[in-house]
Parts: sequence; C-alpha cells; structure tokens
Amino acid sequence: MNDRATLVADVEVIRTPWNEFWRKFKRQKIGVVAGIFVVVLVAIAIAAPWIAPYDAENYFDYDQLNAAPSMAHWFGVDALGRDILSRILMGARISLAAGFVSVAAGAVVGTLLGLVAGYYEGWADRIIMRIADVLFAFPGILLAIGIVAILGGGEANVIVAVAIFSIPTFARLARGTTLGLKRLTFVEAVRSIGATNWTIISRHIFPGTVPAVIVYFSLRIGTSIITAASLSFLGMGAQPPTPEWGAMLDAARADMLTAPHEAIFPALAIFATVLAFNLLGDGLRDALDPRLDRR
Amino acid sequence: MKFPLHRFAAALAVAAVAALAALPAQAAKDVVFAVASTFTTTDPYDANDTLSQAMAKSFYEGLYGFDKDMKMIPVLATSYEVSSDGLVYTLHLRHGVKFHDGTDFNAEAVKVNLDRVTNPDNHLKRYGLYSVIAKTEAVDPYTARITLKNPFSAFINDLAHPSGVMISPAAIQKYGKEIAFHPVGTGPFEFVEWKQPDYLKVKKFAGYWQKGLPKIDTITWRSVVDNNARAAMMQTGEAQFTFPVPYEIADVLKKKPDLALVAAPSIVIRYLSMNTQQKPFDNVKVREAIAYAINKQALAKVAFNGYAEPAAGVVPQGVEYAVKMAPWPYDLAKAKALMKEAGYPDGFETELWSAYNHTTAQKVTQFIQQQLQQIGIRTRITLLESGQRVQRVESWQDPKTAGVRLYYVGWSSSTGEADWALRPLLYGESWPPTLFNTAYYKSDKVDADIKGALLTTDSKEKARLYKDAQETIWHDAPWAPLVVEKLLSANSKKLTGVYVMPDASFNFTNADLK
Repeated sequence: MNDRATLVADVEVIRTPWNEFWRKFKRQKIGVVAGIFVVVLVAIAIAAPWIAPYDAENYFDYDQLNAAPSMAHWFGVDALGRDILSRILMGARISLAAGFVSVAAGAVVGTLLGLVAGYYEGWADRIIMRIADVLFAFPGILLAIGIVAILGGGEANVIVAVAIFSIPTFARLARGTTLGLKRLTFVEAVRSIGATNWTIISRHIFPGTVPAVIVYFSLRIGTSIITAASLSFLGMGAQPPTPEWGAMLDAARADMLTAPHEAIFPALAIFATVLAFNLLGDGLRDALDPRLDRR
Repeated sequence: MKFPLHRFAAALAVAAVAALAALPAQAAKDVVFAVASTFTTTDPYDANDTLSQAMAKSFYEGLYGFDKDMKMIPVLATSYEVSSDGLVYTLHLRHGVKFHDGTDFNAEAVKVNLDRVTNPDNHLKRYGLYSVIAKTEAVDPYTARITLKNPFSAFINDLAHPSGVMISPAAIQKYGKEIAFHPVGTGPFEFVEWKQPDYLKVKKFAGYWQKGLPKIDTITWRSVVDNNARAAMMQTGEAQFTFPVPYEIADVLKKKPDLALVAAPSIVIRYLSMNTQQKPFDNVKVREAIAYAINKQALAKVAFNGYAEPAAGVVPQGVEYAVKMAPWPYDLAKAKALMKEAGYPDGFETELWSAYNHTTAQKVTQFIQQQLQQIGIRTRITLLESGQRVQRVESWQDPKTAGVRLYYVGWSSSTGEADWALRPLLYGESWPPTLFNTAYYKSDKVDADIKGALLTTDSKEKARLYKDAQETIWHDAPWAPLVVEKLLSANSKKLTGVYVMPDASFNFTNADLK
C-alpha cells in the first residue's frame, strides 16, 4: 500500500480527461452553483409526484380561488382553485423533459450531419450546410411556430419542433470542429495505417467534437425550455390541464392585476431554470475550452 | 371724459380672455365609450354582432325598441293593429320626425327599408329575420301596411330587434351599397367619421324629435380590444364608459371612488350543448350525468368572479314566455350512478369545444374539464376562433360527420321573445348550417310547440305551448344549462343615463355629463 502511494505521488496525479475537466470546472464557482441547482431540479422533477403537497390537476378548492401564498399553499392558489406549488413541481418534469429530449434529439442528428459534412466535404457538405443556412435564416421561435403549425399542437410536437430548430446549430458546430481535426497529424497517421472512414470518424474525430457539443448542449437546453414554454404560452404546446409553466403563465394573465402571484411563480421557475442552464453552460465552456487553459 | 383708445382695447382683451376662461364651464360635452371589439359595419341590417348594432343606435332608431327591462316600447311607430288571420300588420307612425339629411320620416321610408332587407339580392346578413315579410305598402304618409307570408306572432319583436332600423331613403338612393360608410338615420346623433379600426365619432343632432335630447355633444366610440388597456383608460379618465368590464378586473375598478361599476341583469345564457346524434351523447343518461356533474355555483365564482347565476331554465328570465325552473342540481353521486347505468362506469374521452377564445371561455372550459374528470370523462379542449367556429360548427353541412360533441356557447334573444330563444337553438329544422342547433336536438313535441306558438295570436295559448316546449327540453337535456351572466359595465360618476340592456346593447339617449 505504502509503496504504491509513493509511486503515484512521484508521477503526480494521473490525468484522465475526467479529472482534468473536474479540476478546471471546480474553479468556476458560478458554474458549480448552477450545476447544483440543475441537479436539485432534476431530483425534484423525478420526485415531483411524491413531494407535491397536492394533486396538480385534480385537487381544487373553490373557496380559495386566487388565494395569495399561505402556509397551506406556499405559492398560493390559481384561478381554478389548484395549488400552484404542486403544479410548478409537476411542471418541472415537463419543462426539463421537453428541454432534454428536444436538445438531445437535435444534438444527435445535428452532430451526425456535421461530422458527415465536415469529413467528406463536397456535395454532402454543400447540401447539408445550405439546408442548415435556410433553417438559420428563421428566428428560432418563428421556425418552431411554423413547425407546430404544420404538425399540430401538443407537447410531443413541440419537442419535435424544438429538436428540428436545434439541428442546424449542432451541425455547424460539429462540422467546424471536424474540419479542424481531420487535418491534424494524428488523423493522417490513423489514415496512413489503413483505418476506414467510419473508424476515423467515430474513434478519432467524434471524441474531439464532444466538448463543444456538451457546452452547446447545456446552453441550448435553456433556449429550448424557453421556446417550449413560449409555444405553450401561445396555446400551441401543452394542453390543459397539464401544469406546463408557459401554459400556467398564459392562464395567469387574466388575473394578473388582482392575483400577481399566479404569474410570478411560473415566471420565476422558467427564469431560474433557464438562467441555471446558461450559467452552467458558461462554466462548462470555460472548463472545457483548451484555449482558455490558464494552468 | 375721455376714454383712451388703448385702454378700451385692453378692456376688450380682458373681456375676451374672461370669456375664453369661462368657456370650459359650459364646455362641449364630449364623451368616450371604450368597447371591446372593432365594429364590423354601421349597417344594422348587415351586422351579426350585438356591438355594431348597439353602436348604430347612435344614429339609427327602429319602429319599435326595448326599455331597460327588455319590455317592448314604440319608437318611430306609435301603435299597430294586426288582422285576425295574423297576416296583415298596420303600423301608425310618429309625426314630425326628420332624418339627419332633412328627409321626412314617413311610410315610404318604412317601405324602402323593409324592401331593401327582404330583397335577397342585397345579401344582407339579417335577411332571415325579415324574410317572413311578403310586401310593405304605404297607405298614407303615416300609415304603413305590412303583409306576411304566413302568420308569425313574434313579428313586432322582429321589428324591435336592434337590426330593424330606419335609414334615410334619400341616403340609400345616394350611397347604395356604400351606406355603411355614410349612415343617415333619425337618431339623437349624427355620424361624423369612422376611422377603422380605432374609433367612430358622432355628434349631437339638433333636429332630434325628442325635445331637449341629446344632452351631450359628441360620443367617440373607441375599440380597445385589450382588457387591461380598457380598464386603464377608465382609471385615467380617458374614457367615461366601458363595456364589457372583464370579471377579473371588476374588483380593481370597484375600488376607484370616481367610477361606478354596474352589474346589470342579462338575457345571455351560457350552456354546454351535447351532440345528441352521436355516441355516447345519444344516451339521455350520459347527458343528465354531465349536467349533474357540473357545479354551476362554483362555475359562476371561478369564471365569472361571481357575476353570474346558475341558469334557471332554458330561456333566461326577462325574455317573454320564459319559464323559470330550479337550476339543475350539482350531484356527483347521481352523476356517477347515471354513468354506470348508461354503461360507462369508467367514463370516456371526448372533445370539448368553445365558441369563443377569450379568457372567460378559457376558464369555463378548464373548469368543465376539471368537473367532468370527476365522473371519468376526459376532455380535450379546443377554443375555436371565429373563423374556425363558422367552419367547423356553424356551417358544417353533414350532421353525420359533424365533429362537435361538447360545445360551450351562449345566446341572447335580441327580440326579447321566446321564439328567437328556442327556434334557432332547439328546433328540429335548425341544425347547422341552417341555424344554431349545435346539439342536433330533435323532438317532435318541441317542434310542434314552436310551430304552433308562431301561428297562434292568442297569448294564453302561446304561453302554454312555450311552457310545454321548455319543460320537454329541460327533461330531454340536450344542453347542460350553465349560467346566466351579468353584464358588467363601468362609467365615470360624472356620466349619467348610460346603461347596458339585458341583451348587451346600450341605451344612451338620455346620457348627460356633469
């Protein structure tokens, strides 16, 4: 035991990519706090049905309509007599799921297309990138509204819409990294010993794109949550009585003058979640970007 | 004594300034009415919306009208006689009435107006209301004779409907189809300008036949769609009257010392129609279960902030021949039992559509969804915007394929009479696209009652038939009757004599500003 410990100390710490990342990420105080917040949020989302004090959809108390926050109802009661805290907790599930699933789908498809475009160049590159340019030309929310208009409303379609509008960004990101990586000597070396294109892409280039994709992934979740909430706010996303934050905000509009808490809490939930993801993304970027390495 | 000229000039100037300063004391009485929608037209014969017709009462009047309790009163006519076969109506007209353009109001004007609406080539939206007229004749300048195609006992109520106004025959001749942009009537105010979609302005008509009226100089009708913006205009004094006041904002305006919030009774009934031709709503037990499962009292609180009452019958009180019934009770146990008897112990899934997409409808439908969930009925809500409503409900051609199931909608009988409250909504021949029987309800008994009541001239018999019809409908439950809403308006305490009528139109002939 003793011998081994001495040995490790002699050659310094072994630097796996993971503890290299962790070492740098620890320094991003804000990023760490945001990360903890996100972890808590995910835990809440998973545990929501057990920790929510009331049934989010089927509990109602018509004697407490629009009641302000109290001990019994920490976030108050909405216009239909439902407990706002329970609805926000359940809503975390929907918003996080919408954010994760849509961005994950967009990231997988986008990265794959970007790798192909960047590695092969030529006509594949031109077609993929021109389509991406067309999608880029639309403001995100407008594109999402257009897609929902074609597919019809509802949560599932909102996720598809947000995934589609995430694809071009990931494609462009992966393509840029691929173009840089494939000219490096180690790739040439792999090719010279006879590796197939597929091996080169999957084993040697793809890992190089991961840090950029991860950073962008976390930044993108914030945007996606906002977009999904916006679509629900406009009545195109989650349908009543689903406790989606954007839909709750929409329903609260009518009573905003007399019962502002109905709008404040869902708005705060969206705000805090999106901010946390963006700050986490910033922290990850600083930790993962080799150019920012200030060891 | 010599009076220097410059002194004289100075005195004159002082007098002039004093005169100017004194002016505001008797300043022009200009008022602003803030309303919730844009006007579709100024021609009441071509309007389907109550608001445009209500606004048009600025410059137009009818032969008959309603007072604030929905009692019919003579306006440009003074009296009428009806022949014993119920076919010929003889109307005696008011003397000494002039249109804004100086034309005399007489029997010829009545003929021109009724001929215009009954000519199908003119494609006026209210053609259906007047198509019962066979011909109109001017017997002498102040006597008009109207002959009907068939006896129609509610005919004078049709004339009192807000669409039945007298337009200057000279103006109709001059402007033709453009009359909607140049309204000329006998009303208390003359048309000034219509800046679509912002405002429409009218000014006092000096030659109005009711002496001493109107007391205000101008009215500017402003269309302000946003609820909060309208409430803000009232609070800053930018507007002196507003209708409707959103239920959510009522409490805010109520607290303002210089504003009066008025909750007026209405004949607007809100109900949930159920497509009786489609499963599972063809089963009366399912329909009854739904009616039992909705807590009407709570609905009034949730969606109407308390400014509504559970519907006490099929036809709201205030409409002639309405029969008052005990509101449908809220009884969850009974609703569940009925569902079980009907063979749906676990409920079913269905569509819930709303004829409107405003916040109140949003709350009503979500409330109904919440309530029906308790007996296992899971609903998918769609708030239709007006185009979708026409396309998917009102003008749907084939009853067999109609997608409407549960349908939240409302109705006000603007003729103030039971016929227009029952026939368009529950008569067997009124299925869409003909009229608005969205329950696709058909009962031979009710059809016979409605038909019989139109033919009879005996008001006792009429009352009996309408009572029977309403009781049969209540029993068959093609609707879950919900609430009769109150009409919320707000006005500056300086403004008097403006009120909202039970059919949601306005009366402001006696308006005055302190």
